[in-house]
Formats: sequence, structure tokens, C-alpha cells
Amino acid sequence: MSEIIRDKTVFTLSEVAKSVQKTLAERYSTPFWIKAEMNKLNYYSHSGHCYPELVEKINGRVVAQMRSTLWSDDYLNINQRFLNLLHEPLKDGIKILFQAKIKYDAQYGLSLHIMDIDPSYTLGDLELEKQLSIERLKKEGIFYQNKNHLLPLLPQRIAIISVETSKGYADFMEVIENNPYGYRFFHMLFPAILQGENAIDSINFQLSRIEKVKSHFDVVAIIRGGGGDVGLSCYNNYSLARTIALFPLPVLTGIGHATNETVCEMTSFQNAITPTKIAEFLIQKFHNFSVPLSESKVKIIRLTKQQLHEKNGLLQNTARLYKHLAIGMISENKYHLSQLSRSMMQEAGFRFRTEKNRVQNMAQSLGKDIKGILQQGAQDISTLNTTLVRGSKSRISNQQVAVQTLEKNVEILNPLHVLKRGFSITLLHGKAVRSTNELKPDDNVLTQLFDGSFESNVKKIE
Amino acid sequence: MKESMTYTKAFEELQLIVTEIEQGEITVDELSTKVKRASELIKVCKEKLTSTEEDVNKILKELESEN
Repeated sequence: MSEIIRDKTVFTLSEVAKSVQKTLAERYSTPFWIKAEMNKLNYYSHSGHCYPELVEKINGRVVAQMRSTLWSDDYLNINQRFLNLLHEPLKDGIKILFQAKIKYDAQYGLSLHIMDIDPSYTLGDLELEKQLSIERLKKEGIFYQNKNHLLPLLPQRIAIISVETSKGYADFMEVIENNPYGYRFFHMLFPAILQGENAIDSINFQLSRIEKVKSHFDVVAIIRGGGGDVGLSCYNNYSLARTIALFPLPVLTGIGHATNETVCEMTSFQNAITPTKIAEFLIQKFHNFSVPLSESKVKIIRLTKQQLHEKNGLLQNTARLYKHLAIGMISENKYHLSQLSRSMMQEAGFRFRTEKNRVQNMAQSLGKDIKGILQQGAQDISTLNTTLVRGSKSRISNQQVAVQTLEKNVEILNPLHVLKRGFSITLLHGKAVRSTNELKPDDNVLTQLFDGSFESNVKKIE
Repeated sequence: MKESMTYTKAFEELQLIVTEIEQGEITVDELSTKVKRASELIKVCKEKLTSTEEDVNKILKELESEN
């Protein structure tokens, strides 16, 4: 109880505490529901109790803060319900709706005694966060960006983000390495934490390393498995989903769980439920390359044989047809030829006979004609003969008359007749002298008379 | 990358040859050349399926040098 010191009523600390405790207990007699962000869970594994740090933030600034207690039994119960519904344990950084009593302890001060937490509220909040991540990525136009990559025909070089000791990694490697088809893959592990809040930074870091050596890889595979369905809300994180969406290589996710698809899985190039499925996806790509390859080989052989067979058949058919046609043509021509020969013989015989008749006819008519011509010729000749005789006779008598007349004239011209009439001819050296100029004195001249001649000497020329 | 171009092109060329043969676009004269080419292409592609040339050490060196 209070005491009076120097006129003042004074309480001890425990009395004040007791009073506060009493007042609060009276005022807050029943538990009530509160919503807050659980900044830290502060789980003490030794005792199993939790001392969650609760805050309320407005625009990122803390406007209220309170400590709380969650006893071991309640924690186990609540945590199990969280795992059942959210596939997430109670953890730092989630929003919770909880039932609590205000508790005041003289030693530890004010705190909230958490009696129950409603997991569906947290689920809604996480779901909301997931939806916000999706909306934001879609608004930025990068949600489907990784899906737009062209996977190489053979996604052969794989950068693996996983944990070397995990079952998922082992499953993946089993399919990739021991495939019965002899397909060869190149793979390199980039180890990272794959669940819980730390996974975000860890995976982001390894992705940034892979990006540096991206030319050596065809594809990135994020592989998790064996860890149950717990601690996967990190894959709804905006920043991690964004890194995957924008990654310069196709990202394959095989996170291995049965719950709703996370945002990272949505933005990845290809998601599979398990690491084994991712490996099978890659093997399938190899099949897609290998099968047509084998088929090509078979097809080419078959089609080539077929084509050669066809052409050969065609050739044989053509040859056969050619032979057939040739034989047909030859026999046809042979027949035609014999026909021609026969008809030629007939024609020739007929012609020969016709010509023979004609020649005979001609010979006959020619004989007749010749007789006529000869008779005519004989007649002509005799006519000509008569005419000739007659013409000759008259011509001859005419000529006789002319000759007689000429004889008379010649007689008249005979020098004898002139000489008889007393003329003479003087000859010098046998030639008649017609002029005195032809003579010179002492020339001997012969003078011809009618009945003889005499020689004389020229004495004088006048 | 260069290598991957080669097998991708080889694959495409092979598909083309198969299509050509299928559609009877190849004459008997060309057939032998085309079939020979196809068998080369198949060889290139088959080799790619069963071998890789990447080297972990080389990649690690690159990672270190840039860090």
C-alpha cells in the first residue's frame, strides 16, 4: 500500500504495475481479434515459445509496435494449420489476424498474448501479394517475356540452380545423365537456397552469375524437390519473378509441389510440376530433333528406292512399249510392202499388157501409114520426074535457039571476015600493034592477011 | 553459337531435302547428290545429339575474371 513521504502519496513500482495490471484486466477482460504485420516470429527452439514482434505500417512507416507471446502448444497447433492451408509455416514478414488478450507483466511490461491466428487471412494476404506481383509484371509488359524466347532445337547446355544434395537435383540428373538414347547434355550447378525468404536473394544472385556466362548455356533450370510444399511463397515475389521474366535465356522451373502455380513459374519459359518432368521436357526436345532425323533417313532410303524403282519400271514399260510398237510397225510396214509389191506386180502386168497392145496398135497403124507415105512419095517422085523432064526439054530447046543465034553473031565477028574485006593485023612479037607508039625503027613486024602473012622491017615512023 | 547454327541449319536443310524428295521434286539425276548431302547432314546432327564441347573450367574462369 502507499505510504506518505513528505506529504506525498508514494507507490512502489510493483504497486503501480499491479494497479495497471488490475485496470487492464478489468478493462480488457475478454480476448479480441487484431490485425497486424508479424515483423519477426522470434521462435525459440529451446523452449518452443515464440515472441512475435508485431507492427503496423502506413506507407512503410511504423505507426504502432507491440511485443507478443505465443506459447509452445498454441504455436504448434497454429503452425500446423498454416502448413495445411498455406503450405507455408508461420514466418517473418506476414500479415496475421489473431486473437489475443492484452497482458501486462510487472517485469516484462505490456504485451499481447496470442491465442489463435487465422491462417485464411494470411492466405488472402499472400494471395493478394501474388496477384499484385502478377498485375505489376503484366502492366510492365514483361509477364510473358521469357516465354517469347526461342528454345534452341537442342537445349543441350543447362545452367542448373539447385541444391546438390536435394532429391530434385538427383532426380533431374538421373533422367538427364542416364537417358537410354545416348543424348549428351552439358550442365553446371549454380547452388542456391530454394525455399523461404532467403531464396529470393540467393536465386537472384545465381541468375546474375549465369547471365555473365550466358553464351555457354541454352537454358536455365531452377530445380527444387524433396522439400515438400512448404516455403514457396518466395516464388511469388515480384523481384524474383521479374528477374526470371527478363532473363536473357529461357528459364525452366521444376519446383516440385502440388499447390497453385507461383508467379515465378508463370513467368518462366516452361514450368513443370517436378524436376523429373523438366528433364523429360528436355529429353523430349532431343526426341523432337532425333526422331525426324531417323525418320528422314528411313524416308530418304524408302523414297529413293521407290523413285528408282518407279523410274526403272517406267523405263522398262517404255522399252516394252517401244519394242511392241516397233514390232507392230515393222509387221505393218512389211504387210504394206508386200501389198504394194503385189499391187505393183499387178499394175506392172496390166501396164505391160496395155503398153504392149498400144505398141502393137502403133506398129499396125505405123505400117499403114508408111505404105501411104511411100505411095505418096513415089507419086511425088514420078510427078517431079515428069515435070523435070518436061522442064528440061523446053529449057534445052530454048538454049539451042540461043546458041544458034550466038553462033551467028560469033561468025559475024570472026576476023577472017574483016580480013577478007582487006583489013590486016600487024603483029610485033606476036602481039597486035594498035599504035605507032609501040613501034620503033628497025623493028621486024608480021602482017596478017586473009590468006597469009608477011614479014617487014620498019624504016620510018610518022 | 556458331556450332548451334550449324546443326540448326543442317536440320533445316535436311527437312527441306526430305520434303523435296517426298514431293517428287528431285530428278533421278540430282538424287545421288541430294542423298549424299542428306547423309552428311544426318551425321552432323547425330553427332550434335551425343556430344558437347562446353568446358566447366573455362566458364568458371570467365566468372572469376568478371567478378
